[in-house]
Amino acid sequence: MSYEEVEVLLRKLCGADGTSGAEGNAATLACELLNEYMPAQFDALGNIIGFSGEGRSILLDAHIDQIGLIVTAVDEDGFVRVAAVGGADRRVMPAARVTIHGKEKIPGVVTSTPPHLAGPDDEGKVPPFDKITIDIGMTKEQADLLVSPGDRITMNGSFIRLAGNRIASPCVDDRAGVASVLRCLQLLKGKKTCKLDVMFSAQEETGGSGAATGAFNAQSDEAIAIDVTFAKAPDTGSGIFANLGDGALVGYGPSLDYAMSKKLSSIARENGIASSPEAMGGRTGTNGDDIQTAGKGIRTALISIPIRNMHTAVEVVDLADIEETARLLAAYILERSANDA
Amino acid sequence: MMLETVRELCNLNGISGRENRIRDYIISKITGYCEYKTDPLGNLLVFKKGKKTANHTVLIDAHMDEVGMIVTGIDSDGCIRFAKVGGVDSRVIIGRNVYIGENCVPGVLGIKPIHLIKKSEEGDIPSDKDLYIDIGAKNKEDAEKYVMPGDEINFESNFSVFGEGFLASKALDDRAGCAVLIDIIRSETEYDCRFSFSVQEEIGTRGAATAAFSSEPDYAIVVETTTAADISGIKGADRVCICGDGGAVSFMDRSTVYNRDLYLKALETAKSNGIKAQTKTRVAGGNDAGAIHKSRGGVKTITVSVPCRYLHSPCCVCKLEDIESTRDLVKALATEFAK
Repeated sequence: MSYEEVEVLLRKLCGADGTSGAEGNAATLACELLNEYMPAQFDALGNIIGFSGEGRSILLDAHIDQIGLIVTAVDEDGFVRVAAVGGADRRVMPAARVTIHGKEKIPGVVTSTPPHLAGPDDEGKVPPFDKITIDIGMTKEQADLLVSPGDRITMNGSFIRLAGNRIASPCVDDRAGVASVLRCLQLLKGKKTCKLDVMFSAQEETGGSGAATGAFNAQSDEAIAIDVTFAKAPDTGSGIFANLGDGALVGYGPSLDYAMSKKLSSIARENGIASSPEAMGGRTGTNGDDIQTAGKGIRTALISIPIRNMHTAVEVVDLADIEETARLLAAYILERSANDA
Repeated sequence: MMLETVRELCNLNGISGRENRIRDYIISKITGYCEYKTDPLGNLLVFKKGKKTANHTVLIDAHMDEVGMIVTGIDSDGCIRFAKVGGVDSRVIIGRNVYIGENCVPGVLGIKPIHLIKKSEEGDIPSDKDLYIDIGAKNKEDAEKYVMPGDEINFESNFSVFGEGFLASKALDDRAGCAVLIDIIRSETEYDCRFSFSVQEEIGTRGAATAAFSSEPDYAIVVETTTAADISGIKGADRVCICGDGGAVSFMDRSTVYNRDLYLKALETAKSNGIKAQTKTRVAGGNDAGAIHKSRGGVKTITVSVPCRYLHSPCCVCKLEDIESTRDLVKALATEFAK
């Protein structure tokens, strides 16, 4: 299989920028893409939400925001001081290229301390975010004209086609999820379904405020959150079981609706869709947690797409896993719709 | 012109021992302006006729190679293991993409997600033995279709111009120096002059040793890049040198105690010609001068360096105007020494 449709979607989505609370052109793009299937709009917190069809409703959620940095100040030497937005990884910062979304897009380089100034305790260590600065090649006077506290900063990176069907890119978390939902809508085109509530939520990386409020507004009968999870890599150790390319990971855990989880697994089996169970002992660490407790409560399931190097500019995903997730979503929706009728 | 040359040089890949693409490019730029030959190690040795015959042989040197990595093996799960070529700090390569071998197979340096790291270890870099490159291969057999041990591993260049006249790229060390030499060779010079585009500087100035032997100079000028630590919060001499203040002249580093007369002459020549220059204010680093000054019966040697931030990273930063000031000073010094 070529997975061309999924690749096209993912490439577009990963090429856009949108850190939590400033989902920017990523949100605009996702809204346009969703509009091809249903009327979509922004809500108060920046979620993109679209509704289509009648009857029982299923909410599909994937978050549109990405991790990044935020400008806290421009120091006297013209270097930009920062804080993390979401779980940014400082180990990949030194000498990294970034873009400051100020009055215009400003290229910058994260400073790295030369060896001669490093103390014995600095060996193999990276400073905390409040000690990290960004070099934009300007004096303070020049910088102040273009950069202000609150401006967002994204990590630069490329959308790279690796061997097989694998991609390395920034913000695969969770544009892979958004791509799987859009691909699912592609697969369902022309087919009669139950009511679909589709949400590309804001602010997942900073705590799920978007999903909580969006799900409250949607008042759906059930929900499926689609996010990324850890794929096995040489350094992930025991406890990480998912392999890239193994398909959609169906979540099982105390906060997830057991019947929905089992239904997803059986539908995958019946339709020849690659999937594996992924179990967690408590909350899921995804929007599923916030959707579950929205309003009077929503029965919620979780499907995860395995990726490597989460929260770096080289998140690796297998296109097959996005396609299988889309197929599983579509098959589940069709079965639910048939039972409804 | 200078900007384009630096850009084109930085966009080429050439770790130590794989300088062929750099050499071919340089030859294409200097053909018609000089005589040249390639020595057994791969150094490109140049003789340029000036308006006058030189009384002393002057050699101007810059190295062609850059830091990077080399494939050492492939694990059963298809991950690529590697050794560093030259002084690469792990802190600046993790989470980056790289290109492997002559066919530029893309790969990434993975890292265990921050979520799976203990709070107390969040700032710790994995040790070298735990680093690996992921090319997307399913297993060893799959990876072997694309990569073999000995393949070179190059950073992505992404050459760009930013801020107030700054350049950002891999390999500015020492393609900035190569660009200076190319520019001088293509210009009219007062005196005959020799040049060496040297190989294997980053693994211990291997090429410069034989280049100097064959060139038999009386004087040598090494054109390099050196650490500029003129970043946020760092003051005074700790900055080593400052972007925008011109070529940095060395009095001593880890490989060479420079000839004092030449050091003073360099600063004086800069002043009398109105060329920006500065003193490198720290005894640190080393370069081809370490090999050249010990060549044959000894060579009076000086180094002029372009100040460069984040040296040996995939994103070195320097100023175009410093490359031009360095060129002007090197050219003026070559004339002085040849007299």
